[in-house]
Amino acid sequence: MKQISYTADQISLPPSPLHWKRFRPHMVAVCLLLLVPLFIKSTYVIDLLILCNIYAMFLSSWDLLTGYTGQISFGHSLFIGSGAYTAGILSFYFQVPILITVPLGGVVAALFGLLLGIPCLRLKGPYLALATFAASGVLAALTAVFWEYSGGEDGLYGIASVSANYVVKYYWSLSLMIVICGFLLFLVNSQYGLILQSIREDESAAEASGINVTRYKLITFVLSGFLAGIAGAFYSHTQMHVGTDQFSLHLSIMVVLMSVVGGLGTIVGPIVAGFLLILLNEWLRVIEVVRVLIYSFSVVLILLFIPKGIVPTVISGIQKGIEKMKSPARS
Amino acid sequence: MSDFLEVESLSISFGGLRAVSDLDFAVERGEVVGIIGPNGAGKTTLFNLLTGFLVPTAGDVRFKGKSLVRKKPHQIVERGIARTFQLVRPFQQLTVLENVMVPHLSPKNRRKNKHRAENQKRALNILGQVGLGDKIHLLASDLSHGDLRRLEMARSLAADPELLLLDEPFSGLAAKEIETLSDLIHAVTDRGLTVIIIEHKLREMMKLVKRVITLDFGIKIADGTPEEIANNEAVIKAYLGKGGEKFVTSRD
Repeated sequence: MKQISYTADQISLPPSPLHWKRFRPHMVAVCLLLLVPLFIKSTYVIDLLILCNIYAMFLSSWDLLTGYTGQISFGHSLFIGSGAYTAGILSFYFQVPILITVPLGGVVAALFGLLLGIPCLRLKGPYLALATFAASGVLAALTAVFWEYSGGEDGLYGIASVSANYVVKYYWSLSLMIVICGFLLFLVNSQYGLILQSIREDESAAEASGINVTRYKLITFVLSGFLAGIAGAFYSHTQMHVGTDQFSLHLSIMVVLMSVVGGLGTIVGPIVAGFLLILLNEWLRVIEVVRVLIYSFSVVLILLFIPKGIVPTVISGIQKGIEKMKSPARS
Repeated sequence: MSDFLEVESLSISFGGLRAVSDLDFAVERGEVVGIIGPNGAGKTTLFNLLTGFLVPTAGDVRFKGKSLVRKKPHQIVERGIARTFQLVRPFQQLTVLENVMVPHLSPKNRRKNKHRAENQKRALNILGQVGLGDKIHLLASDLSHGDLRRLEMARSLAADPELLLLDEPFSGLAAKEIETLSDLIHAVTDRGLTVIIIEHKLREMMKLVKRVITLDFGIKIADGTPEEIANNEAVIKAYLGKGGEKFVTSRD
């Protein structure tokens, strides 16, 4: 047999996805976000950007589970809400400091990730989506059962704030977002990310390649829950309030919607979409009568014309542009 | 019996249907065995039983002396058995190189492929052997069917198996592609790898194997050399039809 043997010298191997040069746009974005309080003094806008940072964490943690590992989940509000309630209860009743409530919120949400992950291991596609959909209602049920502690439908008011200074609060949210999203970007671009993607593409083929699919799926449920729980706990401290209305099925659907608009399986896509859609929604408040209509119509148009999502479409457009610019020079 | 692969009274039923029934056979290390039989004879079910995708209702499969029954597919890969699928199952949205890097990340192979660059070099080496070295940057979804078959082969080789199960590797391929893949299988078996092949393209398969097992309705009806199988009355009646010997031609 004619065996064609290639070496790394003959064929250019793709550069590591973790090469720092790939993250130059991310660094620029972080620098811009760091400079925001120097130029924007409006507490309203800064508050909005804090919300964007928190949503970036919600969305990127969901993207790990669904975009990268292919586990369709409509239950993210359970993770976010359980983290938020844990922090809220610890802060409200026991005056536990934020540096402890936030990680503990993550731990409780990770336990919910484990509880949801185990039965969901045997489910796929729409069945998995339905099971996680049902999980979204768990938090409301729990808060109703333990209403004396959770505050029932009203929730808890008077949770300790991250800081009285809105700029400090902004930098805390930005730091947490950079740590969580940076960690996720590192993870998905490592060889671990390759395993998760293989599971998303074909679980049987991944198993036949020697990958313990069950183990990786469960770890991802737990990790996604942990990160969402941390974000949820932080959210409760920025709002100084937790209530079931904040963590209903509506939040789960918003997480799915924003991530799809941004581009599944990219981490950055959902973050970008989170910022864009939250800001768009707020800017449209000046025309309140048609706000929901325009917002919904914009989302439908994006899904219709760029089904891959904003970020993958923009990246592929830039790449095509660069190739076009290079090709006449070659000929 | 061989202590490499032993299949003993293996059976599986789906409701009232016995897809594999009291199957006994053994494979020696280094052997190249063909499995043939009409559609629905239980060939792919047998592969699914050997690789842990199905759990037998009775019987045992032992590989190097240890039972594989109730082991998960990834544990069986750990033990040294890899497979391809009848319908190719690439990781569509991963590149050709990444497809072959995945089996290198199993617990068995992870240590030596801890660094991406090492993993890439090993994967490139395997892809070079199957003739896909110049397509490493393409997405699997952009490959032709013939290339996908080779990719599937490369991925199974990347699992570093001692026993390779090929499920209809020539299915859907043109004559030239079959020749290329045949050469590849030959190269693999020449290196001493034990291979079991399910195939309907008998002329091509008979050139590769030294022994053929024939299944019909989940039962083994014959086990012998290609020449013996081609002249076996039961096989002729169930599968080959008259003139079965035309399938047996020497490779040389």
